[in-house]
Amino acid sequence: MSFFNTAASTAPAAPAEKDIEVAEPPTDSISSLSFSPQADYLAVGSWDNNVRVYEVGANGQTQGKAMYSHQGPVLGVCWNKDGTKILSGGADNAARMFDVQTGQTTQVAAHDAPVKAVRWIETPQGGILVTGSWDKTVKYWDLRSSQPIGSVNLPERCYSLDVAYPLMVVGTAERHLCIFNLNNPMTPHKTMQSPLKWQTRVVSCFPSNNGFAVGSVEGRVAIQYIDDKDAANNFSFKCHRRDATPNSKDQSLVYAVNDITFHPVHGTFSTCGSDGTINFWDKDARTRLKTFESSPGPITATTFNRNGSIFAYAVSYDWSKGHSGMTPGHPNKIMLHACKEDEVKKRAVKGR
Amino acid sequence: MAKKKNKAVLRPWCWYCEREFEDEKVLMQHQKAKHFKCSMCPRRLNTAGGLAVHIQQVHKLEPDQLPRIENALPGRDGYEVEIFGMEGIPAPDVADYKRRKEIELGLAIGSISQPPSKKPKIENRPLTEDELKAQLEAHKALMGASEKSAVPAPDASASSVVYNAAPTTYATPPVPAVPPVPPGMGMSPPPGMSPPPSGLPPFFPGAPPGYPGAPFMPPPPGMPGFPPGMPPPGFSPPPGFAMPPPGMMPPGAPPFPGGARPPFPPPPAFVPQGFSPPQPGAMSPPRIPAPAAVAPGAPGVLNMPFGGSPAPPPPQSASPPASAHPIAAAPMELKLPNPALAQTNPAFKKATQLKYADPNFSPDEKRAVHPKYRYIADGAADGQNENAQHEEARGKKRARAEDFL
Repeated sequence: MSFFNTAASTAPAAPAEKDIEVAEPPTDSISSLSFSPQADYLAVGSWDNNVRVYEVGANGQTQGKAMYSHQGPVLGVCWNKDGTKILSGGADNAARMFDVQTGQTTQVAAHDAPVKAVRWIETPQGGILVTGSWDKTVKYWDLRSSQPIGSVNLPERCYSLDVAYPLMVVGTAERHLCIFNLNNPMTPHKTMQSPLKWQTRVVSCFPSNNGFAVGSVEGRVAIQYIDDKDAANNFSFKCHRRDATPNSKDQSLVYAVNDITFHPVHGTFSTCGSDGTINFWDKDARTRLKTFESSPGPITATTFNRNGSIFAYAVSYDWSKGHSGMTPGHPNKIMLHACKEDEVKKRAVKGR
Repeated sequence: MAKKKNKAVLRPWCWYCEREFEDEKVLMQHQKAKHFKCSMCPRRLNTAGGLAVHIQQVHKLEPDQLPRIENALPGRDGYEVEIFGMEGIPAPDVADYKRRKEIELGLAIGSISQPPSKKPKIENRPLTEDELKAQLEAHKALMGASEKSAVPAPDASASSVVYNAAPTTYATPPVPAVPPVPPGMGMSPPPGMSPPPSGLPPFFPGAPPGYPGAPFMPPPPGMPGFPPGMPPPGFSPPPGFAMPPPGMMPPGAPPFPGGARPPFPPPPAFVPQGFSPPQPGAMSPPRIPAPAAVAPGAPGVLNMPFGGSPAPPPPQSASPPASAHPIAAAPMELKLPNPALAQTNPAFKKATQLKYADPNFSPDEKRAVHPKYRYIADGAADGQNENAQHEEARGKKRARAEDFL
């Protein structure tokens, strides 16, 4: 069943101590991470209602640069194209824009329920903000008007949303996937059931915008191409599982896949799970490229910087065990990993 | 016997590069990938001989032009020795490797190669009564311990059940997602002051025993507004969890006493970056829950959508202003917009423990309705989100709130 070659020799575990911890992390779980498309600035959304911005230096040293707050927990964060604005969506049913130059925060979008995901769409006509909410809509905003320029009803609550212009994919509750061609943003190009049988946790578009990856709560990731002629390349694979007892090899403890991010240059991708592990994968060679040493807590969010040389991941509680899992000493930190070329570069496709 | 002993001490190793492996299978995979890989095509062979034949036949190279075996130690990069896993390693090399290992591991010379023949004999006699008893005790202790440690597990699953006790829902637009905060409520007396301590216990069945010892302490921030009987076992926080240290909480003056959140933005729960040490405490003042005394009114208010028929006046309790306070009554359970579409997880083919097993709600949604994180809209009619209506509705709400006074 395993499509990926998971031989240990191809996936050496890296010592975790090499990764650098971000100073002054948020005081509560980290919900989202996003690097500026222009510089090594990392925006971090947290359940403590704040968005923090850190500058990452050449040696991985970090410095807090700015912070602004929502009136509820922050669920998603992104940057605009030129890296001058940070956009974030929160449980206060609003999306807010932070101007990096002036330090001003303005509310730019409103929903009837928490805004789970925000993305910046850089169209040939200009930039647009898209917000996905648990009120079962996706709305487009041009940031100048308090009214959306468009609103699309979804079959269910938006759980995850990703854009690789002109492709946009929205993953919702009840395992629906809505695929949009942003040349025609008001109607879904295609609506389908997730190829995975369990709740959708995350969707992430290929940088090549011809497909996307879906992660579910049942430790599984599906690779899905948009075009029907590529359907033969669709596949899914298991990950983020553990043995119930050491060496039993039953892999019966199944964790949620919390985030999937694609490398901006090589098109390889990372998955992170509630089990505290991160893997790098090559979907074309169907190989695991790297395994991180297990972290002391779930990994809630991951991201690459603009050129893929830095990989940031957040170790914090993901509510997978409800309130009772929220122990006082739970780790809550952001780590930076310097990517080596052979960890993220595609492997030669063999046998095909 | 000797051989087994060797295996326990010496792990399989690769003759070409002298790396050690967990087991022979991994070793063979390693050899295929590192040493028996054809440099001209992606083909991987099983042995050096196989690779030689492949290169000669497929890539038409003469035997004397064969590339050396990749990644091998000097002198071990030839094709003469046929290695397959641990098999085929020349005897002198094995002996040499063992000797070096012995030195490396600090063992006596010959301890690997010639393991001591004297081994502690396993006693094969029947156990005495006392020994049996001791073993039983040990076993019981072990089982008892594991039972105890297993207790949190059901809790965890219990906390992931769907709370659809009350009909309000966050996702249905016409019903306000969160009952509004009447303005001025934030000025109500500090919660910690008013409720009689006797009012505490009934509404916190899940509170750890012995907890309400301090009458001035507000309920733990994690637990406001549980309707009676609501808290699932998993929700009872461990004693002290998320509790502000007493010193952090001047009983008379929490900044925004009445509400989980100030009704209007000005000082949002903004924690300066440097201010992290007393985390839970630092965060808690703004979200101090409404006092326990509010709870009597809760069930009625809970089911009343805003603008609907007024709820019966709550029983007059110690702090009347707070009893009209909708924060305590805000819905904190998730409900499916259309229960008919409730999802179920498919069955697993083999025994599997799914760590997050709720098919209908994401962990984030559950977290967002938890009292600690719940967003209380800064006014009424947040369902509409239009300012005009917003103001108007707020006026009405204020009137209604005053009715209760």
